[in-house]
Amino acid sequence: MTFAERMLKIDRRIIFLVIGLCTLLPLLNPVGLPIKISPEVRGVYDYIESLPEGSVFLVSLDFDPASKPELQPQSVALLRHAFRKNLRVVAMTLWVTGTGLADQIITQVAREMGKESGKDYVFLGWSPGGTAVIINMGQDLYSAFPADYNGKPTKGLSVLQGITNLRDVNYAISLAAGNPGVEAWYVFGKDKYKFELGGGCTGVMAPGLYPLLRSGQINGLIGGLRGAAEYESLIGQKGKAVAGMDAQSATHLAIIVLVIICNVFYLSLRKAARQQGQSRA
Amino acid sequence: MPIETIIGAWVATGLTLFIFSFLYKDNPLFKLAENLYVGVSVGYTIVKTYDTVIMHLIWKPIVENGEWALLIPVAIGLLMLTRYVPKAAWMSRYAFAFIVGVGSGLAIPRVISSYILKQIEDTVRPLMVLVPGDGVTFTWSLLNPASGLNTIIILVGVSSVLFYFFFSVEHTGPGRAVARTGILFLMIAFGAAFGYTVMARMSLLIGRLMDLIEFSDASYGQPTLWLLAITMLTLATLAFMSRRHQGNPPESH
Repeated sequence: MTFAERMLKIDRRIIFLVIGLCTLLPLLNPVGLPIKISPEVRGVYDYIESLPEGSVFLVSLDFDPASKPELQPQSVALLRHAFRKNLRVVAMTLWVTGTGLADQIITQVAREMGKESGKDYVFLGWSPGGTAVIINMGQDLYSAFPADYNGKPTKGLSVLQGITNLRDVNYAISLAAGNPGVEAWYVFGKDKYKFELGGGCTGVMAPGLYPLLRSGQINGLIGGLRGAAEYESLIGQKGKAVAGMDAQSATHLAIIVLVIICNVFYLSLRKAARQQGQSRA
Repeated sequence: MPIETIIGAWVATGLTLFIFSFLYKDNPLFKLAENLYVGVSVGYTIVKTYDTVIMHLIWKPIVENGEWALLIPVAIGLLMLTRYVPKAAWMSRYAFAFIVGVGSGLAIPRVISSYILKQIEDTVRPLMVLVPGDGVTFTWSLLNPASGLNTIIILVGVSSVLFYFFFSVEHTGPGRAVARTGILFLMIAFGAAFGYTVMARMSLLIGRLMDLIEFSDASYGQPTLWLLAITMLTLATLAFMSRRHQGNPPESH
């Protein structure tokens, strides 16, 4: 067996180990590679930055713990930005399995920024129906969510003063790990009730949402951990996403090198087989 | 540190390591974590749905506020359960008909508007734009998504990919070149999607490793180190037992 053949039949657990080490070492010894801000992430940041104090900012945390590493840093960075701008934050989720996590995120950031539930922000929790909830909120927010996550009636909450439906929302953003998520918020929300919409999503979903971004259906897109790191850099509060970027770069480099090596070995084997065939003929 | 945080750290670390142990080989620790994950997810969904739907959206409004009109959607919902009674199963069709009818009515116009009309509008942008002072101009910038050059690239991409999936005409001659161009665009799209997928999967690994590093701290009782040792010891024991079992000849009866 030649060296190339042996390398192509290498135990895959060795590759797992290489990737594991490439991830672990930069986390233990960060280098601090520069992070370039993309226009799609800046789109979300600039819009929130342009909102006057007291504007209504709706954030839908449409994910569950399985997507926490990518979407929690996005949520934390966005909420910190919104609270710093003194926006009225209305948080909710369309994913039943993400309710506890969403509550934990918003409570933690609100406490850190000194914000009060019911006055500065409200977490509406989850309501059944998926896209139907968006339509319901477009007609009457209080019939979709008669009470917030803690059981307080939503009617009369000072944070919701002057809000009757989605038309009163100044900016909405869906941080989504699937469906219902950004697309549902566009199709059943923005397209009908005409509020400005941004998106945040897992890396897997990002390529599918670029057509919406280009056509202006969403005004910005935060894609995966990379997008979260860009947003953390923009607000000047570096967190988990920025810390993970060195590891991300290292693993990407390792994968590129592995792909090149595999192709070189594969092509060399093919060339050798062709030469063998010619010599036999 | 609160005791519940410490317990949470031990549980999270243990389950993460048990799941990662699958990378070595399938084993009972992985199965335990996998089944726990499925069980906890389903249990959480059932409890949360019961509390939100049955208690807060049905029971309390009817009993406490006297909103008797809610009995109509409840009745339609209950019709679904007649599927489990063969003689009354036909009644569930009314519930399904209602859901399909309302769902389609709400979705079709919105989806056509959002995914077809808006996207077509964006695909057929004018090649040249009238800039005040400069007259009609064609922009060459690849970095500007709205440039004339990008409009041509998108037009060529959309047309060639659509032609590639048009099987009524044989892809020969000039048609072959167009179809090959379509394949090229598809490969670029799949490559971009795969690149993002790799990034997403690596992000998940980074997230778990960050937690494992955090939980190796003495304030949590170093669950990462202890549970890593236990997991490795268990895997080694299982491997040893499996090898010993393979070494023994089968008993004859």
